[in-house]
Amino acid sequence: MSAATTTHVPTRPSGARPDDAARAADARRGIPFLRLARVELRKQLDTRAGAWLLGVIVLVNAALITLMLTTAEPGALTWMGLTETASFGQIMLLPLIGIMAATSEWSQRTAVTTFVLEPRRSRVNGAKLLAAVVLGLGVMVATLAAAALLNVVGLVARDGDGAWTLDLALVGGTVLALAILVTQGVAFGLALLSTPGAIVAYLALPTAWTVLSALVEGLRGPSEWLDINMTMLPLMAGEMGDGDWARLAASVGVWVALPLAIGLWRTARREVA
Amino acid sequence: MITAQHLTKRYGDHAAVDDVSFTARPGRVTGFLGPNGAGKSTTMRMLCGLTAPTTGQATVVDRPLRSMANPGRTVGVLLDASAQHAGRTGREVLSLSAQLMGLPSSRVGAVLETVGLTDAESRKRTRSYSLGMRQRLGLAHALLGDPTVLVLDEPANGLDPAGIRWMRELLRGFAADGGTVLLSSHLLREMEAVCDDLVIIGGGRILAQGSASELLSGPSTRVRSVDDRALTAALTAAGHTVERTDEGTLATAASPEEVGRVALAAQVVLTELRAATSTGLEQLFFDTTAQHGREGIAA
Repeated sequence: MSAATTTHVPTRPSGARPDDAARAADARRGIPFLRLARVELRKQLDTRAGAWLLGVIVLVNAALITLMLTTAEPGALTWMGLTETASFGQIMLLPLIGIMAATSEWSQRTAVTTFVLEPRRSRVNGAKLLAAVVLGLGVMVATLAAAALLNVVGLVARDGDGAWTLDLALVGGTVLALAILVTQGVAFGLALLSTPGAIVAYLALPTAWTVLSALVEGLRGPSEWLDINMTMLPLMAGEMGDGDWARLAASVGVWVALPLAIGLWRTARREVA
Repeated sequence: MITAQHLTKRYGDHAAVDDVSFTARPGRVTGFLGPNGAGKSTTMRMLCGLTAPTTGQATVVDRPLRSMANPGRTVGVLLDASAQHAGRTGREVLSLSAQLMGLPSSRVGAVLETVGLTDAESRKRTRSYSLGMRQRLGLAHALLGDPTVLVLDEPANGLDPAGIRWMRELLRGFAADGGTVLLSSHLLREMEAVCDDLVIIGGGRILAQGSASELLSGPSTRVRSVDDRALTAALTAAGHTVERTDEGTLATAASPEEVGRVALAAQVVLTELRAATSTGLEQLFFDTTAQHGREGIAA
Protein backbone atom coordinates (compact mmCIF):
# COMPACT_ATOMS: atom_id res chain seq x y z
CA MET A 1 0.00 0.00 0.00
CA SER A 2 1.35 3.42 -0.83
CA ALA A 3 0.91 4.57 2.70
CA ALA A 4 3.51 7.30 2.78
CA THR A 5 1.30 9.96 1.26
CA THR A 6 2.06 12.59 3.81
CA THR A 7 1.39 15.57 1.57
CA HIS A 8 -1.92 17.27 2.08
CA VAL A 9 -4.33 15.92 -0.49
CA PRO A 10 -7.26 18.30 -0.68
CA THR A 11 -10.58 16.54 -0.52
CA ARG A 12 -12.06 19.20 -2.72
CA PRO A 13 -10.79 22.28 -4.51
CA SER A 14 -10.09 24.82 -1.81
CA GLY A 15 -11.73 28.22 -1.79
CA ALA A 16 -14.86 28.43 -3.92
CA ARG A 17 -17.03 25.34 -3.87
CA PRO A 18 -18.63 25.03 -7.28
CA ASP A 19 -20.09 21.71 -6.18
CA ASP A 20 -22.36 23.27 -3.58
CA ALA A 21 -25.07 23.96 -6.14
CA ALA A 22 -24.93 20.39 -7.44
CA ARG A 23 -25.13 19.08 -3.89
CA ALA A 24 -28.15 21.20 -3.09
CA ALA A 25 -29.85 20.05 -6.29
CA ASP A 26 -29.10 16.39 -5.47
CA ALA A 27 -30.42 16.82 -1.96
CA ARG A 28 -33.69 18.31 -3.30
CA ARG A 29 -34.20 15.65 -5.94
CA GLY A 30 -33.28 12.70 -3.79
CA ILE A 31 -32.64 9.25 -5.16
CA PRO A 32 -35.13 8.14 -7.84
CA PHE A 33 -36.69 4.75 -7.08
CA LEU A 34 -35.58 3.23 -10.38
CA ARG A 35 -31.99 4.23 -9.70
CA LEU A 36 -32.27 2.58 -6.30
CA ALA A 37 -33.64 -0.57 -7.97
CA ARG A 38 -30.82 -0.56 -10.56
CA VAL A 39 -28.25 -0.40 -7.77
CA GLU A 40 -30.01 -3.21 -5.88
CA LEU A 41 -30.04 -5.35 -9.04
CA ARG A 42 -26.32 -4.77 -9.43
CA LYS A 43 -25.80 -5.71 -5.77
CA GLN A 44 -27.56 -9.04 -6.33
CA LEU A 45 -25.05 -10.00 -9.03
CA ASP A 46 -21.75 -8.34 -8.11
CA THR A 47 -20.87 -10.55 -5.14
CA ARG A 48 -19.12 -13.88 -5.40
CA ALA A 49 -22.19 -15.66 -4.00
CA GLY A 50 -24.55 -13.97 -6.48
CA ALA A 51 -22.34 -14.75 -9.46
CA TRP A 52 -21.97 -18.37 -8.34
CA LEU A 53 -25.72 -18.87 -7.94
CA LEU A 54 -26.40 -17.47 -11.40
CA GLY A 55 -23.65 -19.70 -12.77
CA VAL A 56 -25.18 -22.76 -11.09
CA ILE A 57 -28.61 -21.90 -12.56
CA VAL A 58 -27.08 -21.81 -16.05
CA LEU A 59 -25.26 -25.11 -15.39
CA VAL A 60 -28.37 -26.89 -14.08
CA ASN A 61 -30.41 -25.69 -17.06
CA ALA A 62 -27.66 -26.62 -19.50
CA ALA A 63 -27.44 -30.11 -18.03
CA LEU A 64 -31.21 -30.65 -18.21
CA ILE A 65 -31.37 -29.32 -21.77
CA THR A 66 -28.49 -31.52 -22.88
CA LEU A 67 -30.22 -34.50 -21.37
CA MET A 68 -33.43 -33.63 -23.18
CA LEU A 69 -31.73 -32.93 -26.50
CA THR A 70 -29.90 -36.23 -26.47
CA THR A 71 -32.45 -38.61 -25.00
CA ALA A 72 -35.97 -37.23 -25.50
CA GLU A 73 -38.29 -38.35 -28.29
CA PRO A 74 -37.71 -36.12 -31.35
CA GLY A 75 -41.42 -35.25 -31.22
CA ALA A 76 -40.96 -33.62 -27.79
CA LEU A 77 -38.28 -31.24 -29.01
CA THR A 78 -40.28 -28.03 -29.36
CA TRP A 79 -39.62 -24.45 -28.31
CA MET A 80 -42.22 -24.85 -25.57
CA GLY A 81 -40.86 -28.15 -24.33
CA LEU A 82 -37.29 -26.90 -24.22
CA THR A 83 -38.36 -23.70 -22.43
CA GLU A 84 -40.20 -25.70 -19.80
CA THR A 85 -37.17 -27.87 -19.13
CA ALA A 86 -34.81 -24.91 -19.08
CA SER A 87 -36.93 -23.09 -16.48
CA PHE A 88 -36.22 -25.58 -13.73
CA GLY A 89 -32.94 -24.04 -12.54
CA GLN A 90 -34.34 -20.58 -11.86
CA ILE A 91 -37.52 -21.91 -10.23
CA MET A 92 -35.31 -23.80 -7.80
CA LEU A 93 -32.46 -21.37 -7.24
CA LEU A 94 -33.38 -17.80 -8.19
CA PRO A 95 -35.35 -17.26 -4.95
CA LEU A 96 -32.05 -17.79 -3.09
CA ILE A 97 -30.68 -14.64 -4.74
CA GLY A 98 -33.76 -12.85 -3.42
CA ILE A 99 -33.09 -14.25 0.06
CA MET A 100 -29.47 -13.12 -0.01
CA ALA A 101 -30.41 -9.67 -1.31
CA ALA A 102 -32.49 -9.22 1.83
CA THR A 103 -30.26 -10.90 4.41
CA SER A 104 -26.77 -9.85 3.29
CA GLU A 105 -27.33 -6.23 4.37
CA TRP A 106 -27.49 -7.58 7.92
CA SER A 107 -25.22 -10.61 7.79
CA GLN A 108 -22.50 -8.69 5.93
CA ARG A 109 -23.42 -5.56 7.92
CA THR A 110 -23.61 -3.35 4.84
CA ALA A 111 -26.87 -1.94 6.29
CA VAL A 112 -24.64 0.58 8.09
CA THR A 113 -23.83 2.24 4.76
CA THR A 114 -26.97 1.35 2.80
CA PHE A 115 -29.37 2.97 5.26
CA VAL A 116 -27.26 6.09 5.70
CA LEU A 117 -27.33 6.70 1.93
CA GLU A 118 -31.09 5.98 1.76
CA PRO A 119 -32.67 6.16 5.23
CA ARG A 120 -36.12 5.16 3.97
CA ARG A 121 -35.62 1.47 4.56
CA SER A 122 -38.91 0.24 3.12
CA ARG A 123 -38.02 2.06 -0.09
CA VAL A 124 -34.73 0.14 -0.20
CA ASN A 125 -36.60 -3.12 0.46
CA GLY A 126 -39.08 -2.28 -2.30
CA ALA A 127 -36.16 -1.69 -4.66
CA LYS A 128 -34.71 -5.07 -3.68
CA LEU A 129 -38.02 -6.74 -4.45
CA LEU A 130 -38.39 -5.03 -7.82
CA ALA A 131 -34.79 -5.85 -8.70
CA ALA A 132 -35.24 -9.53 -7.79
CA VAL A 133 -38.42 -9.82 -9.89
CA VAL A 134 -36.80 -7.99 -12.83
CA LEU A 135 -33.85 -10.37 -12.57
CA GLY A 136 -36.33 -13.26 -12.73
CA LEU A 137 -37.96 -11.80 -15.86
CA GLY A 138 -34.53 -11.28 -17.42
CA VAL A 139 -33.58 -14.88 -16.77
CA MET A 140 -36.89 -16.07 -18.32
CA VAL A 141 -36.30 -13.98 -21.45
CA ALA A 142 -32.79 -15.42 -21.72
CA THR A 143 -34.24 -18.90 -21.24
CA LEU A 144 -36.76 -18.37 -24.07
CA ALA A 145 -33.94 -17.16 -26.33
CA ALA A 146 -31.68 -20.10 -25.46
CA ALA A 147 -34.56 -22.54 -25.94
CA ALA A 148 -35.27 -21.05 -29.37
CA LEU A 149 -31.67 -21.59 -30.39
CA LEU A 150 -31.72 -25.14 -29.07
CA ASN A 151 -35.00 -25.79 -30.88
CA VAL A 152 -33.11 -25.16 -34.12
CA VAL A 153 -30.35 -27.48 -32.92
CA GLY A 154 -32.99 -30.14 -32.18
CA LEU A 155 -34.48 -29.67 -35.66
CA VAL A 156 -31.14 -30.07 -37.39
CA ALA A 157 -29.35 -32.62 -35.24
CA ARG A 158 -32.16 -34.92 -34.17
CA ASP A 159 -34.88 -34.16 -36.68
CA GLY A 160 -36.97 -32.83 -33.79
CA ASP A 161 -40.53 -31.58 -34.02
CA GLY A 162 -39.29 -27.98 -33.82
CA ALA A 163 -42.71 -26.43 -33.35
CA TRP A 164 -42.60 -22.68 -32.63
CA THR A 165 -45.96 -22.37 -30.90
CA LEU A 166 -45.81 -21.24 -27.28
CA ASP A 167 -48.52 -22.08 -24.77
CA LEU A 168 -49.00 -18.56 -23.44
CA ALA A 169 -50.82 -19.77 -20.32
CA LEU A 170 -47.87 -22.01 -19.56
CA VAL A 171 -45.21 -19.37 -20.22
CA GLY A 172 -47.18 -16.73 -18.34
CA GLY A 173 -47.84 -19.14 -15.47
CA THR A 174 -44.15 -19.99 -15.20
CA VAL A 175 -43.19 -16.32 -15.20
CA LEU A 176 -45.78 -15.53 -12.52
CA ALA A 177 -44.71 -18.54 -10.45
CA LEU A 178 -41.09 -17.39 -10.65
CA ALA A 179 -42.08 -13.88 -9.57
CA ILE A 180 -44.07 -15.31 -6.62
CA LEU A 181 -41.20 -17.56 -5.53
CA VAL A 182 -38.60 -14.77 -5.81
CA THR A 183 -40.87 -12.47 -3.80
CA GLN A 184 -41.27 -15.24 -1.25
CA GLY A 185 -37.47 -15.48 -1.05
CA VAL A 186 -37.10 -11.75 -0.40
CA ALA A 187 -39.95 -11.92 2.13
CA PHE A 188 -38.40 -14.81 4.08
CA GLY A 189 -35.02 -13.06 3.96
CA LEU A 190 -36.47 -9.82 5.36
CA ALA A 191 -38.51 -11.62 8.02
CA LEU A 192 -35.61 -13.75 9.31
CA LEU A 193 -32.56 -11.57 8.41
CA SER A 194 -30.28 -14.59 8.51
CA THR A 195 -29.12 -16.26 5.31
CA PRO A 196 -28.99 -19.89 6.50
CA GLY A 197 -32.15 -19.47 8.57
CA ALA A 198 -34.10 -17.94 5.69
CA ILE A 199 -32.89 -20.54 3.15
CA VAL A 200 -33.82 -23.44 5.43
CA ALA A 201 -37.20 -21.90 6.28
CA TYR A 202 -37.92 -21.12 2.62
CA LEU A 203 -37.09 -24.65 1.51
CA ALA A 204 -38.44 -26.60 4.48
CA LEU A 205 -41.52 -24.86 5.87
CA PRO A 206 -43.88 -25.07 2.86
CA THR A 207 -42.78 -28.68 2.28
CA ALA A 208 -43.28 -29.50 5.95
CA TRP A 209 -46.82 -28.15 5.62
CA THR A 210 -47.40 -30.35 2.56
CA VAL A 211 -46.18 -33.44 4.44
CA LEU A 212 -48.13 -32.53 7.55
CA SER A 213 -51.37 -32.07 5.65
CA ALA A 214 -50.81 -35.42 3.94
CA LEU A 215 -50.53 -37.09 7.35
CA VAL A 216 -53.22 -35.23 9.28
CA GLU A 217 -56.62 -35.67 7.76
CA GLY A 218 -58.11 -32.58 9.38
CA LEU A 219 -55.61 -30.35 7.60
CA ARG A 220 -56.47 -31.46 4.11
CA GLY A 221 -59.38 -29.07 3.73
CA PRO A 222 -57.47 -25.92 4.71
CA SER A 223 -54.43 -27.21 2.85
CA GLU A 224 -56.18 -26.85 -0.48
CA TRP A 225 -56.05 -23.15 0.23
CA LEU A 226 -52.87 -22.84 2.19
CA ASP A 227 -50.38 -25.25 0.61
CA ILE A 228 -48.46 -23.10 -1.85
CA ASN A 229 -46.74 -26.15 -3.33
CA MET A 230 -50.17 -27.43 -4.40
CA THR A 231 -51.75 -24.13 -5.45
CA MET A 232 -48.74 -23.37 -7.70
CA LEU A 233 -49.04 -26.66 -9.63
CA PRO A 234 -51.87 -25.60 -11.95
CA LEU A 235 -50.18 -22.24 -12.43
CA MET A 236 -46.92 -23.77 -13.59
CA ALA A 237 -48.81 -26.27 -15.74
CA GLY A 238 -50.72 -23.41 -17.39
CA GLU A 239 -54.02 -24.95 -16.31
CA MET A 240 -55.57 -22.50 -13.93
CA GLY A 241 -59.23 -23.38 -13.58
CA ASP A 242 -62.23 -22.17 -11.57
CA GLY A 243 -61.26 -21.41 -7.98
CA ASP A 244 -57.57 -21.97 -8.62
CA TRP A 245 -56.86 -18.24 -8.61
CA ALA A 246 -58.59 -17.78 -5.25
CA ARG A 247 -56.69 -20.70 -3.74
CA LEU A 248 -53.41 -19.35 -5.16
CA ALA A 249 -54.16 -15.92 -3.72
CA ALA A 250 -54.89 -17.37 -0.27
CA SER A 251 -51.68 -19.37 -0.15
CA VAL A 252 -49.64 -16.43 -1.46
CA GLY A 253 -51.17 -14.34 1.31
CA VAL A 254 -49.90 -16.77 3.94
CA TRP A 255 -46.49 -17.66 2.48
CA VAL A 256 -45.53 -14.42 0.70
CA ALA A 257 -47.54 -11.40 1.84
CA LEU A 258 -47.44 -12.23 5.56
CA PRO A 259 -43.65 -12.78 5.83
CA LEU A 260 -43.14 -9.73 3.60
CA ALA A 261 -45.22 -7.59 5.96
CA ILE A 262 -43.35 -8.96 8.99
CA GLY A 263 -40.02 -8.34 7.23
CA LEU A 264 -40.84 -4.75 6.25
CA TRP A 265 -42.01 -4.00 9.78
CA ARG A 266 -38.94 -5.62 11.31
CA THR A 267 -36.31 -3.96 9.12
CA ALA A 268 -37.95 -0.55 9.45
CA ARG A 269 -37.61 -0.68 13.24
CA ARG A 270 -34.45 -2.66 13.66
CA GLU A 271 -31.39 -1.00 15.06
CA VAL A 272 -28.45 -1.06 12.66
CA ALA A 273 -25.26 -1.93 14.49
CA MET B 1 -22.78 21.32 11.67
CA ILE B 2 -23.93 18.44 13.87
CA THR B 3 -26.21 18.98 16.84
CA ALA B 4 -27.23 16.48 19.50
CA GLN B 5 -30.06 17.70 21.71
CA HIS B 6 -30.75 15.75 24.90
CA LEU B 7 -30.12 12.44 23.18
CA THR B 8 -31.08 9.47 25.32
CA LYS B 9 -31.10 5.79 24.37
CA ARG B 10 -32.44 3.24 26.81
CA TYR B 11 -32.22 -0.53 26.53
CA GLY B 12 -34.66 -1.70 29.17
CA ASP B 13 -33.57 -0.05 32.40
CA HIS B 14 -30.08 0.68 31.16
CA ALA B 15 -29.41 4.10 29.63
CA ALA B 16 -26.60 3.59 27.10
CA VAL B 17 -26.77 7.29 26.29
CA ASP B 18 -28.18 9.66 28.87
CA ASP B 19 -29.18 13.23 27.98
CA VAL B 20 -26.26 13.98 25.67
CA SER B 21 -26.14 17.44 24.07
CA PHE B 22 -23.31 18.92 22.04
CA THR B 23 -22.57 20.73 18.80
CA ALA B 24 -19.84 20.03 16.26
CA ARG B 25 -19.19 23.25 14.35
CA PRO B 26 -18.16 23.88 10.74
CA GLY B 27 -14.47 24.57 10.21
CA ARG B 28 -13.56 22.60 13.31
CA VAL B 29 -12.62 19.03 14.17
CA THR B 30 -14.57 17.82 17.18
CA GLY B 31 -13.12 14.90 19.11
CA PHE B 32 -15.51 12.46 20.76
CA LEU B 33 -13.85 10.61 23.61
CA GLY B 34 -14.76 8.09 26.24
CA PRO B 35 -13.92 4.63 27.57
CA ASN B 36 -15.27 1.49 25.90
CA GLY B 37 -19.01 1.26 26.41
CA ALA B 38 -19.34 4.96 27.20
CA GLY B 39 -22.01 5.39 24.50
CA LYS B 40 -19.90 6.93 21.73
CA SER B 41 -20.92 4.51 18.98
CA THR B 42 -24.58 4.52 20.04
CA THR B 43 -24.56 8.33 19.92
CA MET B 44 -22.95 8.30 16.48
CA ARG B 45 -25.52 5.77 15.22
CA MET B 46 -28.29 8.06 16.45
CA LEU B 47 -26.69 11.01 14.63
CA CYS B 48 -26.70 8.89 11.45
CA GLY B 49 -30.32 7.77 11.79
CA LEU B 50 -29.39 4.11 12.26
CA THR B 51 -30.68 3.95 15.82
CA ALA B 52 -33.81 5.75 16.96
CA PRO B 53 -33.23 7.77 20.14
CA THR B 54 -35.56 7.03 23.04
CA THR B 55 -35.83 10.78 23.55
CA GLY B 56 -34.04 13.81 22.16
CA GLN B 57 -33.06 14.75 18.65
CA ALA B 58 -29.99 14.72 16.45
CA THR B 59 -29.57 16.95 13.42
CA VAL B 60 -26.94 17.29 10.70
CA VAL B 61 -26.91 20.70 9.02
CA ASP B 62 -30.15 21.54 10.87
CA ARG B 63 -32.07 18.44 9.73
CA PRO B 64 -32.42 14.91 11.06
CA LEU B 65 -30.44 12.71 8.68
CA ARG B 66 -33.47 10.48 8.12
CA SER B 67 -35.38 13.38 6.60
CA MET B 68 -32.72 14.02 3.94
CA ALA B 69 -33.41 12.89 0.39
CA ASN B 70 -29.80 12.09 -0.55
CA PRO B 71 -27.84 12.22 2.73
CA GLY B 72 -24.59 10.93 1.23
CA ARG B 73 -24.14 14.27 -0.57
CA THR B 74 -24.17 16.11 2.75
CA VAL B 75 -22.66 13.78 5.31
CA GLY B 76 -19.90 11.18 4.96
CA VAL B 77 -20.06 8.39 7.50
CA LEU B 78 -17.59 5.74 8.61
CA LEU B 79 -18.92 3.85 11.61
CA ASP B 80 -17.37 0.42 11.12
CA ALA B 81 -14.67 -0.27 8.57
CA SER B 82 -15.25 -4.02 8.71
CA ALA B 83 -18.93 -3.66 7.74
CA GLN B 84 -18.31 -4.31 4.04
CA HIS B 85 -19.58 -7.21 1.95
CA ALA B 86 -16.67 -9.67 1.96
CA GLY B 87 -17.48 -10.89 -1.55
CA ARG B 88 -17.43 -7.45 -3.21
CA THR B 89 -14.36 -5.61 -4.47
CA GLY B 90 -13.40 -2.29 -2.91
CA ARG B 91 -13.94 -0.51 -6.20
CA GLU B 92 -17.39 -2.09 -6.58
CA VAL B 93 -18.39 -0.95 -3.08
CA LEU B 94 -17.55 2.63 -4.08
CA SER B 95 -19.08 2.33 -7.56
CA LEU B 96 -22.41 1.15 -6.12
CA SER B 97 -22.63 4.12 -3.78
CA ALA B 98 -21.51 6.56 -6.49
CA GLN B 99 -24.27 5.24 -8.74
CA LEU B 100 -26.79 5.48 -5.91
CA MET B 101 -25.86 9.08 -5.09
CA GLY B 102 -25.91 10.04 -8.78
CA LEU B 103 -22.19 10.80 -8.95
CA PRO B 104 -19.97 10.40 -12.03
CA SER B 105 -17.90 7.21 -11.92
CA SER B 106 -14.73 9.33 -12.08
CA ARG B 107 -15.38 10.16 -8.44
CA VAL B 108 -14.48 6.56 -7.48
CA GLY B 109 -10.96 6.84 -8.89
CA ALA B 110 -10.57 10.24 -7.26
CA VAL B 111 -11.35 9.07 -3.72
CA LEU B 112 -9.29 5.89 -4.14
CA GLU B 113 -6.34 8.11 -4.98
CA THR B 114 -7.09 10.39 -2.03
CA VAL B 115 -6.95 7.52 0.48
CA GLY B 116 -3.97 5.86 -1.18
CA LEU B 117 -5.52 2.57 -2.32
CA THR B 118 -3.89 1.33 -5.52
CA ASP B 119 -5.81 0.24 -8.58
CA ALA B 120 -4.81 -3.40 -8.00
CA GLU B 121 -5.92 -3.27 -4.35
CA SER B 122 -9.25 -1.75 -5.31
CA ARG B 123 -9.99 -4.72 -7.58
CA LYS B 124 -9.60 -7.28 -4.80
CA ARG B 125 -12.53 -8.50 -2.74
CA THR B 126 -12.69 -6.87 0.69
CA ARG B 127 -12.39 -10.31 2.33
CA SER B 128 -8.63 -10.09 1.68
CA TYR B 129 -8.22 -6.52 3.01
CA SER B 130 -6.17 -5.72 6.11
CA LEU B 131 -7.79 -3.54 8.77
CA GLY B 132 -5.78 -0.56 7.53
CA MET B 133 -7.02 -1.09 3.97
CA ARG B 134 -10.60 -1.40 5.20
CA GLN B 135 -10.21 1.89 7.05
CA ARG B 136 -8.92 3.54 3.89
CA LEU B 137 -11.81 2.10 1.90
CA GLY B 138 -14.22 3.31 4.58
CA LEU B 139 -12.71 6.79 4.47
CA ALA B 140 -12.92 6.77 0.67
CA HIS B 141 -16.58 5.85 1.01
CA ALA B 142 -17.16 8.66 3.52
CA LEU B 143 -15.52 11.20 1.18
CA LEU B 144 -17.26 9.87 -1.95
CA GLY B 145 -20.28 12.17 -1.98
CA ASP B 146 -18.08 15.25 -1.42
CA PRO B 147 -19.89 15.92 1.86
CA THR B 148 -19.64 18.96 4.12
CA VAL B 149 -19.88 16.87 7.29
CA LEU B 150 -17.87 13.81 8.33
CA VAL B 151 -18.81 11.38 11.12
CA LEU B 152 -15.96 8.95 11.76
CA ASP B 153 -15.87 6.28 14.47
CA GLU B 154 -12.26 5.32 15.21
CA PRO B 155 -11.00 5.83 11.67
CA ALA B 156 -7.34 5.71 12.76
CA ASN B 157 -7.77 2.19 14.13
CA GLY B 158 -5.43 -0.13 12.19
CA LEU B 159 -3.68 2.62 10.22
CA ASP B 160 0.10 2.66 10.19
CA PRO B 161 1.94 5.74 11.57
CA ALA B 162 2.21 7.30 8.11
CA GLY B 163 -1.48 6.60 7.57
CA ILE B 164 -2.39 8.26 10.87
CA ARG B 165 -0.37 11.33 9.96
CA TRP B 166 -1.95 11.38 6.53
CA MET B 167 -5.42 11.18 8.07
CA ARG B 168 -4.63 14.04 10.46
CA GLU B 169 -3.75 16.23 7.50
CA LEU B 170 -6.82 15.09 5.60
CA LEU B 171 -9.13 16.01 8.48
CA ARG B 172 -7.34 19.32 9.14
CA GLY B 173 -7.69 20.13 5.44
CA PHE B 174 -11.36 19.14 5.43
CA ALA B 175 -12.08 21.43 8.39
CA ALA B 176 -9.95 24.24 6.91
CA ASP B 177 -12.19 24.09 3.82
CA GLY B 178 -15.18 24.76 6.07
CA GLY B 179 -16.23 21.17 6.73
CA THR B 180 -17.48 19.75 10.02
CA VAL B 181 -15.71 16.71 11.46
CA LEU B 182 -16.90 14.57 14.37
CA LEU B 183 -14.28 12.00 15.21
CA SER B 184 -13.90 9.36 17.88
CA SER B 185 -10.63 7.68 18.74
CA HIS B 186 -8.71 6.18 21.64
CA LEU B 187 -5.42 7.53 20.29
CA LEU B 188 -5.29 10.44 22.70
CA ARG B 189 -2.11 12.07 21.40
CA GLU B 190 -3.55 11.94 17.92
CA MET B 191 -6.79 13.51 19.13
CA GLU B 192 -4.81 16.20 20.92
CA ALA B 193 -3.03 16.97 17.69
CA VAL B 194 -6.07 17.10 15.44
CA CYS B 195 -9.05 18.30 17.49
CA ASP B 196 -10.25 21.86 17.97
CA ASP B 197 -13.10 20.87 20.28
CA LEU B 198 -13.55 17.96 22.64
CA VAL B 199 -16.59 16.10 23.95
CA ILE B 200 -15.82 13.53 26.65
CA ILE B 201 -18.48 11.02 27.69
CA GLY B 202 -18.56 8.24 30.23
CA GLY B 203 -21.41 6.03 31.39
CA GLY B 204 -23.60 7.57 28.68
CA ARG B 205 -23.26 11.11 30.05
CA ILE B 206 -21.26 14.11 28.98
CA LEU B 207 -18.38 14.59 31.41
CA ALA B 208 -16.64 17.55 29.81
CA GLN B 209 -16.90 19.55 26.62
CA GLY B 210 -15.42 22.70 25.16
CA SER B 211 -12.52 23.87 23.04
CA ALA B 212 -9.40 21.75 23.34
CA SER B 213 -7.21 24.72 24.31
CA GLU B 214 -9.65 25.64 27.09
CA LEU B 215 -10.00 22.11 28.47
CA LEU B 216 -6.31 21.31 28.29
CA SER B 217 -4.95 24.51 29.81
CA GLY B 218 -5.66 24.10 33.48
CA PRO B 219 -3.65 26.68 35.49
CA SER B 220 -1.08 24.39 36.94
CA THR B 221 2.43 24.34 38.37
CA ARG B 222 4.89 21.47 38.44
CA VAL B 223 7.39 21.35 41.27
CA ARG B 224 10.16 19.05 42.59
CA SER B 225 11.96 19.45 45.90
CA VAL B 226 14.36 17.65 48.20
CA ASP B 227 11.48 17.09 50.66
CA ASP B 228 8.19 16.63 48.80
CA ARG B 229 6.37 15.55 51.93
CA ALA B 230 7.10 18.77 53.79
CA LEU B 231 6.29 20.81 50.69
CA THR B 232 2.97 18.98 50.20
CA ALA B 233 2.07 19.64 53.85
CA ALA B 234 2.98 23.33 53.55
CA LEU B 235 1.04 23.78 50.30
CA THR B 236 -1.98 21.96 51.72
CA ALA B 237 -1.80 24.11 54.84
CA ALA B 238 -1.78 27.16 52.57
CA GLY B 239 -5.04 25.96 51.04
CA HIS B 240 -3.78 24.48 47.76
CA THR B 241 -4.51 21.01 46.43
CA VAL B 242 -1.49 18.92 45.56
CA GLU B 243 -1.20 15.77 43.44
CA ARG B 244 1.71 13.64 42.44
CA THR B 245 2.00 13.26 38.65
CA ASP B 246 3.17 10.23 36.68
CA GLU B 247 6.50 11.90 35.99
CA GLY B 248 7.19 12.17 39.73
CA THR B 249 6.63 15.89 40.15
CA LEU B 250 4.01 17.50 42.32
CA ALA B 251 1.19 19.29 40.52
CA THR B 252 -0.76 22.11 42.10
CA ALA B 253 -3.12 24.83 40.99
CA ALA B 254 -1.08 27.42 42.88
CA SER B 255 1.06 29.76 40.75
CA PRO B 256 4.86 29.24 40.61
CA GLU B 257 5.30 32.42 42.67
CA GLU B 258 2.98 31.16 45.42
CA VAL B 259 4.75 27.78 45.45
CA GLY B 260 8.11 29.57 45.75
CA ARG B 261 6.92 31.66 48.69
CA VAL B 262 5.43 28.64 50.50
CA ALA B 263 8.68 26.71 49.97
CA LEU B 264 10.73 29.61 51.27
CA ALA B 265 8.59 29.87 54.39
CA ALA B 266 8.75 26.12 54.97
CA GLN B 267 12.47 26.10 54.20
CA VAL B 268 12.21 23.38 51.55
CA VAL B 269 14.81 23.40 48.77
CA LEU B 270 13.20 23.29 45.32
CA THR B 271 14.95 21.39 42.51
CA GLU B 272 12.43 22.23 39.80
CA LEU B 273 9.66 24.79 39.47
CA ARG B 274 7.71 25.54 36.30
CA ALA B 275 4.29 26.48 34.99
CA ALA B 276 2.68 23.58 33.13
CA THR B 277 1.24 24.94 29.91
CA SER B 278 -1.02 21.99 29.28
CA THR B 279 -2.36 19.22 31.42
CA GLY B 280 -2.39 16.88 28.42
CA LEU B 281 -5.37 15.06 27.02
CA GLU B 282 -4.37 11.81 28.69
CA GLN B 283 -4.49 13.46 32.10
CA LEU B 284 -7.78 15.16 31.28
CA PHE B 285 -9.23 11.90 29.99
CA PHE B 286 -8.36 9.95 33.13
CA ASP B 287 -9.37 12.82 35.41
CA THR B 288 -12.83 13.02 33.85
CA THR B 289 -13.55 9.37 33.11
CA ALA B 290 -11.89 7.79 36.17
CA GLN B 291 -15.05 6.35 37.65
CA HIS B 292 -16.29 5.10 34.26
CA GLY B 293 -13.19 3.20 33.17
CA ARG B 294 -13.00 -0.56 33.46
CA GLU B 295 -9.53 -0.89 34.92
CA GLY B 296 -9.99 1.34 37.94
CA ILE B 297 -6.85 3.33 37.10
CA ALA B 298 -6.58 6.23 39.48
CA ALA B 299 -5.99 9.50 37.73
